[in-house]
Amino acid sequence: MTSLKRSLASDPYASNISSKVYVRTTKSGKVQKIVRELYLRQDIPCSSRLCSSCLATAPRDASGTLTPFVLSEKPAGTKAYPQGHYLVPDTNALLTALDLFEQTSAFYDVVVLQTVLEELKNRSLPLYNRLIGLTKSEEKRFYVFFNDFRLETYVVRDEGESINDRNDRAVRRAVKWYDEHLLQAVTSAGGKKNKVPAVVMLTDDKDNLKKAKRDGIEARSLNDYVSGLDNAERLLDMVAAADEKREIRNSKTTQNLFPEHYSVSKMQTGVKSGALHQGTFYMSPYNYLEATVSTRAFDKPLIIVGKENMNRAVDGDQVVIEILPKSQWKEPSTKIIEEETINKNENADAEDGEAVVTERERRALREEVKKVHSTVGEGRAQPTAKIVGIIKRMWRQYVGHVDESSMSQVDRQSRKQHTVFVLTMDKKIPKIRIKTRQAGEISGKRIVVAIDSWNADERYPTGHFIRSLGEVETKGAETEALLLEHDVQYRPFPKAVLDCLPVEGHEWIVPVSKEDPGWRDRRDLRGLEICSIDPIGCQDIDDALHARPLPNGNFEVGVHIADVSHFVKPNNAMDAEASIRGTTVYLVDKRIDMLPMLLGTDLCSLKPYVERYAFSAIWEITPDADIVKSEFTKSVIKSREAFSYEQAQLRIDDPTQQDDLTNAIRTLLMLSKKFKQKRMDAGALSLSSPEVRVETESETSDPIDIKTKKHLDTMSLVEEFMLLANISVAAKIYSAFPQIAMLRRHPSPPKTNFDDLSQQLKIKKGMELKVSSSKELADSLDQCVDPNEPFFNTLVRIMATRCMRPAEYFCSGTEAYSEFRHYGLASEIYTHFTSPIRRYADLVAHRQLAAAIEYETLDPAVRSKSKLELVCKNINVRHRNAQFAGRASIEYYVGQALKGKVVEEEGFVMKAFSNGFVVYVPKFGVESLIRLRDLVGDGEEEPESEFDAENFVLRTRGKRVLEVGLFDKVVVRISDVKEEFTGKRKVKFELVKVGGK
Amino acid sequence: MAPSATQQVLLSPAELSYLHTSLSLTPPIRPDGRAPSQFRPLIAETGILPGTNGSARICFADGTEAIVGIKAEMEKSGTGYQQSNNLEEEDARQGSNDWLEVTVEVPGLRDDDSMPIFLAAMLTEALLADGEFTKRLWINRRFHWKLYLDILLLSQALSYPLPLLSLTTHLALLSTRLPKLTSELDEDPLFDDDWEASVYLYPRNSQASHTRPPVTLLVMAVKNNIIFDPSKEELAVAEVVLAVSVGERASGEVDMEVDSKKTRDLRLLAVRTIDPPSRLTPPGIPNALNTATGGTAPTIEQAASQREITQEEGVWQPPRGGAKRKLIAALIQKVLEHGGVAEEVLDGLDGVELG
Repeated sequence: MTSLKRSLASDPYASNISSKVYVRTTKSGKVQKIVRELYLRQDIPCSSRLCSSCLATAPRDASGTLTPFVLSEKPAGTKAYPQGHYLVPDTNALLTALDLFEQTSAFYDVVVLQTVLEELKNRSLPLYNRLIGLTKSEEKRFYVFFNDFRLETYVVRDEGESINDRNDRAVRRAVKWYDEHLLQAVTSAGGKKNKVPAVVMLTDDKDNLKKAKRDGIEARSLNDYVSGLDNAERLLDMVAAADEKREIRNSKTTQNLFPEHYSVSKMQTGVKSGALHQGTFYMSPYNYLEATVSTRAFDKPLIIVGKENMNRAVDGDQVVIEILPKSQWKEPSTKIIEEETINKNENADAEDGEAVVTERERRALREEVKKVHSTVGEGRAQPTAKIVGIIKRMWRQYVGHVDESSMSQVDRQSRKQHTVFVLTMDKKIPKIRIKTRQAGEISGKRIVVAIDSWNADERYPTGHFIRSLGEVETKGAETEALLLEHDVQYRPFPKAVLDCLPVEGHEWIVPVSKEDPGWRDRRDLRGLEICSIDPIGCQDIDDALHARPLPNGNFEVGVHIADVSHFVKPNNAMDAEASIRGTTVYLVDKRIDMLPMLLGTDLCSLKPYVERYAFSAIWEITPDADIVKSEFTKSVIKSREAFSYEQAQLRIDDPTQQDDLTNAIRTLLMLSKKFKQKRMDAGALSLSSPEVRVETESETSDPIDIKTKKHLDTMSLVEEFMLLANISVAAKIYSAFPQIAMLRRHPSPPKTNFDDLSQQLKIKKGMELKVSSSKELADSLDQCVDPNEPFFNTLVRIMATRCMRPAEYFCSGTEAYSEFRHYGLASEIYTHFTSPIRRYADLVAHRQLAAAIEYETLDPAVRSKSKLELVCKNINVRHRNAQFAGRASIEYYVGQALKGKVVEEEGFVMKAFSNGFVVYVPKFGVESLIRLRDLVGDGEEEPESEFDAENFVLRTRGKRVLEVGLFDKVVVRISDVKEEFTGKRKVKFELVKVGGK
Repeated sequence: MAPSATQQVLLSPAELSYLHTSLSLTPPIRPDGRAPSQFRPLIAETGILPGTNGSARICFADGTEAIVGIKAEMEKSGTGYQQSNNLEEEDARQGSNDWLEVTVEVPGLRDDDSMPIFLAAMLTEALLADGEFTKRLWINRRFHWKLYLDILLLSQALSYPLPLLSLTTHLALLSTRLPKLTSELDEDPLFDDDWEASVYLYPRNSQASHTRPPVTLLVMAVKNNIIFDPSKEELAVAEVVLAVSVGERASGEVDMEVDSKKTRDLRLLAVRTIDPPSRLTPPGIPNALNTATGGTAPTIEQAASQREITQEEGVWQPPRGGAKRKLIAALIQKVLEHGGVAEEVLDGLDGVELG
């Protein structure tokens, strides 16, 4: 009998064939044995420019071109390797120190082995993506070598060998092969032996190092290697808190401070069976001992109290929780607890005798519990939970500064390695313990750090230093910090993106000849009296308007939007970049564009006096603001004038101006008022959020003054027509593409969101807030007027806005039609169409509308529902981040503008706790906390207080006696102070008196 | 049950009689010259189907050949998840017979033909007989493996294929591996993704003998001669055919004394008598009743009654009646005895490399 198994002996290519067998568990729970045959090759190039034999055999693509070789023929040398060297890191080296590899001062010519890359992908996807980014950048010369497909470097797993050992062996084999291969390449080309670059394996694994030595392979540990580089100290800090410490710990077997996390399978089973719940972890911004987890199973988020229950979760993590027994439920805290006040003066080096819960924390918690017990009878206790495991860490890079108090024993001049705490700008992130040799240098700077780990036996997470942004409170450092914290992409556009711009550059004009393909299906609207109205100094003009009377007494109104989709074609590099950026971010002194300047401020921008491509929506509207018909067309327009809101307002108000353009604006204004009335009747909300403008000196952009934005009629004029255009377009693209239309919705908020506010209004002001529909809410908000206090209504609106859910982009196929509603605008369907220069969603809507009017076919990229969903998800996040970044920028400048000044202003109490209250000052649009201990001078004892949670009144006794209630008007003294914990300059309020000025 | 008619050997009564006579001699003379307990040479290999959890192939020298592939699938046992942490119940392992599904495919036969079904039933019976087998498929209280045994006869069944299929199944089960469990207790199972780490369904240790899947052997008797591994021709004249399933138990307390040789703790798992195909053969006619040889043709009734009593040498008479108890006991004894056939077979199978 001949065996049925593949006989390798008779096959001349037998050595080229290998197989891989593994077990795969599918999502549906099936367990499969997978067998893959592996065909090993000998033509995978080493990609070194020194090598000519690989060059001859390397595979070419269909057109016969060869991927250029990556590794330099003259790699950089170090003291240990004067002849130059190539680096081959193992997986752990990349895991612990990828930041190092991203440095520009060293780490060039790196061979990334396939074995390592795959292992990294399994261990950490974000790091993998960063590494892929590195391999794509040409200047760093990273080369992915597919060692598991090359015959000479393929390693079969030995019996009883763990997969890690096998991979380590594969790395060593590859290094050895490279070494021999290069030697041969150089000598066969007639080079000298001492000119051959060394191939250096980087690993922190002791065993691996030992084996490498045995096999005669050049290997270094990260620390060892980095010490031999220039500015080693800076680089050494970037090596993640390495294992040496861990080993010491293991030998000590310290007891755990936190409970161990559950195993993955235990969590999964628990979540599936409903015993455990999965959700996102959010720290409370006011109380660092309290957090919430919102889960699918419950409407309201669950409360997590105390560090032990938080069990090492960090804001944003995906966690699994277990609900605590009812006896441990409590009501949400009414107290402000800040880490800085409770855990001051901790020594970062001290590791002995650490407890998760410090005495002082315990005391703070105990007081809380006492209070709960006294109110439990009223049944306000809410379910609490504890974290039993973490599904996914959402750690990113954090911006912060070194905690000076942890530096107390640090000799600033010495180069010894110190352990210091880094306080992050984001208060919700715990302090991070880092080791650094440059403690003196980085103190007082804004620095970027990363968290590496948080073991059960550590009180704080361990991280490492990445880079310094500059001195705290310098504009550059603060702006960059702000962008980093909000994950805004601010690097300049890469070349690939700029290559997508029209070659004519600023010289580009609308083709003169109408035969030009650019004119295809475009309507010539150059004869219309079109103008644009925007804020002062606006460069990226998205929209322009026109209106003219028709013979039948109706009006023709047109909204013309920059035709960005003409310039940004789907699926090219520019489109990809824009979809990642998602939106333009506006800071006080800076704008981070979504599209390159050339398009945003010139070619697409509907500048006056020049011809531009546009996408026009044209309606016939009766004098009563009823729409008779509407149409959409691509067009060419020539704007007559670019007005600012103020200019336009002046022009309307000036009766001597009787030209066509002014009259057209008057018509538009008249119509817009009627539209607005209709919207209000339908139940649209007019909400409020604090809006201030920081006036800056034009040269240095130092802040001079803060003004609240003034509202002009012309603003709502533009707004109304933009809404009209958005709504019409939404209806049009939805009817054309019911499954994939890019829409925007504003989900109606759950009634419970308004519980607190309506309770507060009822008790304090005797007003009623009806929330069953947006119409009712709008009406009852109108009723919330305090005749003595004109600002009160705005205050309520601001607070109501905070109860709402954010609006979001979505793909129409993912929701039922009834869910499309835009709650705030009281519109059944809505999209964003009018700002394609600064929002990616609008660009997608443009493409869909162009396809809906059969101007062009719909690109497959815009046709795929799953892709659109991803786009929506991303731009929702980007949109929110952009808002936060903008607000943070204003906050920073308000702080800077007030620097050194002391002002007394009126404010209103927005929120009251048992040991403090939040005051909102409308003049500057800022809010801040006044704590009880701020009421008295330094060193004096904090006044005793009593918080009447029923009536929202805080009474104090002792040093200072006062009574502050919610919505009360107070006078505060505003000064600036540098917050110690976050290093931000912030306004500090001091209570002058309760009542008006 | 007898193999269906198509599998009948077409031998004349005279040939049958000749065979029968030579097999009843002491010692019996078998057509292929084997000793009574000698097996036909066979070639075996395992692990021939890389995509399965376990597989084997056996080829007899007469050209009959079978392949067995075993696939394991995870299934819910139907109990809900309770988060209980009481560890004491280790013997909570409870198997169920429907965790095993055996299908036999014989070329030329429909899958609802009686023979493959009967064969499958016999193999299943042997596997399930000791009640221990399905416990091996237990993962935790909520999940178990379901094992699919696909038995494929590649060649025409020249002889009754039960031993061939049983031996192949035995080898396949021995080579069967299940992914290694990494989760604990009653959680949703998670497995080690490394196939090398997977565990054998029948774990082995080289020292002591270990539990193995059962083998089913075919034994026949002619007169008082006991003949193992009968060929097709021999079956055609068998008086008693017995399928004996034998299992081996892990010998925990092997007496370490005199016997340096491994002793096997063999256990009888199942016995089935098989209706010998010889019963369907046409009878021979004695000369006295044959007109061609000068006899007188009897009437039909006469013929029937005469045949019953004919003891004439050289005239084939299909066997009648059941097997004698003594004979069956002797057959079983022969299989199980120390140094007997079962041991020999198992020793032989031990020599097959599993991979």
